[in-house]
Amino acid sequence: MGYTIAEKILARVSGKDHVKAGDEVMAKPDYVIAYDFPGYTDVYFRQMKEEFGIDRVAEPDRYAMFIDHMVPAATPKEEELHIITRNWCAENNVPLYERKGIGHQVASEVGYAVPGAFVVHFDGHISQLGTFGTLAMGIRHSLLEALVRERISIKVPKTVRVNLVGTLGRGVMARDVFHHLVRVMGPASCRFQVLELGGPALSQLSTEGLQTITGLAMFTGAITAIVNPDEERLAYALPRARKKIEPFYSDPDAEYSAVYEIDLDQLEPLIVIPPTPANSRNLTDYLGLELNVGYLGSCASGRIEDLRVAAQILEGRQVAPGFQLNVVPTSQEIMAAAGREGLISILAEAGAFVSAPTCDYCFGRMGTMTVKQRAVSTGTLNVKGRMGSPDSEIYLCSAATVAASAIEGKIADPRKYMR
Amino acid sequence: MTLKTLRGRVAFIFDEIDFDIDQIVGVKNIKITDIEELAAVAMEAYDPDFRNKVKPGDILVGNHNFGYGHPHYPPMRAMRHMGIAGVVCESFSPGYWRGEINMGFPQATCPGILGMVERWDEIEVDYDANEVRNLTKGTSLPIEPLSDADRGTLSAGGLVGYIKQREAAGKNGQQQEGS
Repeated sequence: MGYTIAEKILARVSGKDHVKAGDEVMAKPDYVIAYDFPGYTDVYFRQMKEEFGIDRVAEPDRYAMFIDHMVPAATPKEEELHIITRNWCAENNVPLYERKGIGHQVASEVGYAVPGAFVVHFDGHISQLGTFGTLAMGIRHSLLEALVRERISIKVPKTVRVNLVGTLGRGVMARDVFHHLVRVMGPASCRFQVLELGGPALSQLSTEGLQTITGLAMFTGAITAIVNPDEERLAYALPRARKKIEPFYSDPDAEYSAVYEIDLDQLEPLIVIPPTPANSRNLTDYLGLELNVGYLGSCASGRIEDLRVAAQILEGRQVAPGFQLNVVPTSQEIMAAAGREGLISILAEAGAFVSAPTCDYCFGRMGTMTVKQRAVSTGTLNVKGRMGSPDSEIYLCSAATVAASAIEGKIADPRKYMR
Repeated sequence: MTLKTLRGRVAFIFDEIDFDIDQIVGVKNIKITDIEELAAVAMEAYDPDFRNKVKPGDILVGNHNFGYGHPHYPPMRAMRHMGIAGVVCESFSPGYWRGEINMGFPQATCPGILGMVERWDEIEVDYDANEVRNLTKGTSLPIEPLSDADRGTLSAGGLVGYIKQREAAGKNGQQQEGS
């Protein structure tokens, strides 16, 4: 009987020849990552000292901190939190990435997405490192364990395999693929398991697209998602990798709790209606719904492919009067690339408000909506109050759909604007 | 490790599938840190008088995939403050589960629970016999056994206690540098 990529990685980091789903092991994460947030990092730093007497982490290069929320700071209190983080990193000699972009994306750019590595964060969207064959899990406050001890206790998860076949049609993006997975498999289909992506269509999907799909894995119930990394993913990850690990691949006879085949030819643009990411619907059933706001950004979308498609749709057109389109490239690297390609000027000329990278639009700290406002968004979540008032509404969709909707000020089909 | 059997009334049944627990306090209140303030707004949308009805030891019941979405800690902090001793659901979302077990807050997966209890029934959650008993109706159902780590964490009162306890038992990896 063969092993899944997740089992192989967890065997490596727990110092065993083999582990199987269901085994409880003590695993040493290759990297322990966090962004600063009140009630999280500030509390961990305090608990490390007060509960465990740890003034310095033993292997500083295993840790990485990101400052990507509350950037730029809007209150002295926010800046004080960032100072706590800067000081902790300086004292501990831990790498700090500030104002580089959204950490889950930057982590890949600066080499923490090592194929075959095990990475933990308190936030589940770190799962997107799975694009490169990295097993990256959000473990909430269990992160403390990884901060104070070399190893963390973990139960080896089962894996659900999804084989992608076919080709994406015009105006259909990876974002639609993910919401289709939730729709056909269900929001609990991968509970406590790993969502593994494979199949012949994998090589046709962009790296950005796979980051979108793997980054949203939690909404299938999965604890993470992972790709058996192909040439294109290795070509991105290996030159940036901070350590050398031989990539792992699932065996052909690996054991899966379920196997799905998803035909990309059958996909249409989707929209996820409030108030839960479980609500995938056909976009065509919601065309014409009046909107106030469009948000193109977040750790899920906002990458160069998303900016390109938005620029393609908006070039020579204008955002509808009164409509607020916020475009937030996911990282500085992406924003710089978009500038070089001329995408930023196209978006600005169309009337988009283009912001520097930050997490803050995704959770309503910026671009905040009030009562009865309605947004289309490529953010992560559409629960009540996520982007402001609990009486505002969020419809999740692809970057293409956000751009098309911005032109009409209503939910619109991107296909009619694409050549 | 023996875990204490929970015994209390079913204080509320969240029958919604994929229930987003942040709705317990409302997303607009999720940044409140003062526990009294949190408790005062908890359950407003479900039963405004909840706080006066609940007794220490009472238990919450939920449907499938309880805790779906981006669960935060304040809702269950408020529940514990009001005396809620544990949560029994058809099934849980993994992020919620891990987060609350780490708080030392007992959770139990019990397929069929919604069909076995009504609000205010007296129930017992027995982690040694791995069953939930409805004392009011005289019925019972099995619960899914806890993993060793989850059992250890609950018995130590939460993650901090568990890490220390494991260390005392010599089960941790190499230590970090102390002061």
